[in-house]
Amino acid sequence: MSAEASARDLRRAQWRGVGAVAEREILRVLRLWKQTLVPQVLVAVLFIVVFGLALGGRLDGIGGVPYEQFIVPGLVLMGVGTAAFANNGTSIYQARGDGFIEDPVSSPMTASQLLLGYLSGGIVRAAIIGVGIVAAARAFVVFPLVNAGLVVATLLLSGIAFAALGTVVGLYARGWEHQNFVGNLVIQPLVFLGGVFYAVDDLPEPWATISRFDPIFYMVEATREGMLGAAEVPLGLSLGVTAGLAALMVLWAYTLFRRGVGLRT
Amino acid sequence: MGLRVEGLVKRFGDLTAVDSLDLAVPEGSFFGLLGPNGAGKTTLIRSVVGLCEPDEGHIEVLGVPAWGRRGAEARRLIGYAPQEVALDRFVPVREALELHGRYFGMSRRDAVARAREMLATFELEDKATSYANLLSGGMRRRLLLARALVHRPRLVILDEPTAGVDIELRHDLWAHISRLHADGTTILLTTHYLEEAEALCERVAFMRDGQIVTEGAPAELRGRFGAGRLEDVYLRVVGR
Ligand SMILES: Nc1ncnc2c1ncn2[C@@H]1O[C@H](COP(=O)(O)OP(=O)(O)OP(=O)(O)O)[C@@H](O)[C@H]1O
Ligand SMILES: [Mg+2]
Repeated sequence: MSAEASARDLRRAQWRGVGAVAEREILRVLRLWKQTLVPQVLVAVLFIVVFGLALGGRLDGIGGVPYEQFIVPGLVLMGVGTAAFANNGTSIYQARGDGFIEDPVSSPMTASQLLLGYLSGGIVRAAIIGVGIVAAARAFVVFPLVNAGLVVATLLLSGIAFAALGTVVGLYARGWEHQNFVGNLVIQPLVFLGGVFYAVDDLPEPWATISRFDPIFYMVEATREGMLGAAEVPLGLSLGVTAGLAALMVLWAYTLFRRGVGLRT
Repeated sequence: MGLRVEGLVKRFGDLTAVDSLDLAVPEGSFFGLLGPNGAGKTTLIRSVVGLCEPDEGHIEVLGVPAWGRRGAEARRLIGYAPQEVALDRFVPVREALELHGRYFGMSRRDAVARAREMLATFELEDKATSYANLLSGGMRRRLLLARALVHRPRLVILDEPTAGVDIELRHDLWAHISRLHADGTTILLTTHYLEEAEALCERVAFMRDGQIVTEGAPAELRGRFGAGRLEDVYLRVVGR
């Protein structure tokens, strides 16, 4: 084989590997659907029913939007984000803990290819959950979908950001408690402060200002703009922060794969 | 050379697990790496397969540098059965073999066909749809070996492939590995069973404290040390 032909052959081999890792990650999500898909959709639906329908009638709308509609975008984002994070954190930590991650790590795939394969699982899970929550929410609440393209783009970027963050935690974690720590003590508070259930501008200071430093706030805003056509911050800012965060998280995860953190000794 | 290691150093904190080690495994040979627990055999092997990053030194797999720009190319040539059984428990046996083949660059069709062949060779057909964590210890060892061979590697590295298997299976595994060798595959094997090394290996190296202490054909070593068995050589060169 000429040098060029063998380089091409190697590239093809590597991409086959990426396909296999992605397939394995996606099948894991589908096979474990009771744990990977149902809970997040159920939680979002419960929030919509309890807060939106039961309490929503007693609350004024926010910025002219009925409360039960107002909370839907944030809940979709919350489901997508937590699922993508949990997926990659769990799958990678498990594969490291049991040692079977060494099989793909010792394969011809490069760091970026491995990362791509692993991110696919979180992204697909996030996508299924996003669609699931929107569909389930529709059964209870009528809400507009002003700009579906924007919603898809925002959720996709958010899914990537959270899947990459999950990857980072999965690579660093030395026990399940690390995962739970980040999930419960970092992501959960940021989601709640991110204006899922209220308009951040309605908060008293310093909380309104603090919330502006919460990256999830911008993800929620971009999703809300796409679904309801209204938001507190300009779209350029919310989408920009979302995309920037996705890029940053992917870069962080890539650096760890590249250095072999948690993968090589 | 099937495998060339030059000046390999690997430290874990204060501990130097592999210490300026040189090793040359001729292409097509059956090479045994022997030595006490903690000698650094697994660390050396993991440095070759890309799982342990060397601090110093150079490794070549069939002429391809294992670290650096051509690492992917080198890794593709290697089949590795680890000492610790690490199998994906979310994936049934057949699929585990197929996935491995694809991780190492086979098309789905080739991988499926080859996995079927491996299941037959290693008598795992009955367990094709079982999950790896439900297999017996001996079955897991067979699966590890089968997995290492799916993508038809030219250098096969087996880290204690017969640890904890019964006598019958051990002889089966020997037969498999010997056939592989007869087909021209380069084999690097570690084992604590000296009679196994004597029966299989053309050359053996004794390792201790991260270094190769002595090396040669088993018969030659017995002659050199005036020993009746390889075990006596072992006790002389690396024994406490
Ligand atoms: N990840 C690690 N971190 C710290 N020390 C390590 C690590 N891996 C190996 N070591 C140490 O390096 C030394 C060599 O270990 P290694 O596993 O290579 O030995 P070995 O020859 O394979 O032994 P055995 O026959 O018991 O399998 C040991 O002292 C071991 O404790
Ligand atoms: Mg060992």
